[in-house]
Amino acid sequence: MLALALALALGVTLGLLTNVTVPVAALTYLGVAVLAAIDACLGGVKASLEETFDDKIFISGFLTNTLMAAFIVFVGDRIGVRELYLAAVVAFGLRVFENLGTVRRLLFSRWGWE
Amino acid sequence: MHRNQFRPGLIFVFVVLGLLIAVAFNTTSRLAEARPGRVSDLVDVVQSMEVQREELQNRLAELRSDLARLEREAADDSGVSKSFSRELDRVRQAAGLSAVTGPGIEIVLGDGSEVAPGADPNDYLIHDTDIAAVVNALFVGGAEAVEVNGERLVATTPIRCAGTTVLVNSARLGSPYIIKAIGDPAELERAVMDDEAASLLFDVYSSQYGLQVSMSKSSELEVTGYRGSLRPQYSVPANGGA
Repeated sequence: MLALALALALGVTLGLLTNVTVPVAALTYLGVAVLAAIDACLGGVKASLEETFDDKIFISGFLTNTLMAAFIVFVGDRIGVRELYLAAVVAFGLRVFENLGTVRRLLFSRWGWE
Repeated sequence: MHRNQFRPGLIFVFVVLGLLIAVAFNTTSRLAEARPGRVSDLVDVVQSMEVQREELQNRLAELRSDLARLEREAADDSGVSKSFSRELDRVRQAAGLSAVTGPGIEIVLGDGSEVAPGADPNDYLIHDTDIAAVVNALFVGGAEAVEVNGERLVATTPIRCAGTTVLVNSARLGSPYIIKAIGDPAELERAVMDDEAASLLFDVYSSQYGLQVSMSKSSELEVTGYRGSLRPQYSVPANGGA
């Protein structure tokens, strides 16, 4: 857990220090990417707790999910249905809360609070 | 909890997540400082420059009256150029540089108070064209000196729309607009009522849109002098000024 918190802090520090920004037009992509990353992180924690974690599956899943989400946003922009990105947001959002619930239950059982 | 249960892949994605969040933060905070900040900076600049211009105009008026006094004194001393000094005063008055008094009329144009639902709010406002129409009508009626909210109209005076205000000389004016004109009061009133665009303000728009317009004749009116600068850059007297 500590390693994950440190990794998160490292990423934030790197981003703030380099002060990288994206164009306004790309903000939607960035938002969806953040959601995809949160989803992947929780999914990874869940898989680790279930001891089914596999680097290959995890990284490839994170990348394809993010690319698909970006593609949906792009298509929405092109065909004039801006709101299409909501599909990705809803899908990721649902999974985030689902995984969060599972992680919580797994932690409880691990710590013997049940 | 087992040690080493978190694999490098997971650690890596956590770093990426942190990075993305930081980038999003950078972008939104830069946007926040870019947008309203710039506008309010510009507003500050404009306001401070307006204050500065006001001070300079007052100084200019001061210097002009000093100059007039000195010229008079010089003329008195020499005695010979009295007629020259009188001529100078006359020219200055004709150019609109000196405040003048006399009979005339005072016209007030104010925005309408309440916009009816569904109506175009523009119909309820006094526009630059309305002021220009009234001023032109006054000149038709033989007005010798005209001011709008203390801004004397001279040869280079524009009357134009500037956002929610009207620009006369270099001053931004707002409703109500008080137009003072010196001339034959009856003649001036007739000219305004004869003018198609100007009379509409009084006859139709005032009742239809609730515009606050009024016209009053006066036997004693003061019209201020022009306070701005007059510095012809391109024009020179033709034929040596003869």
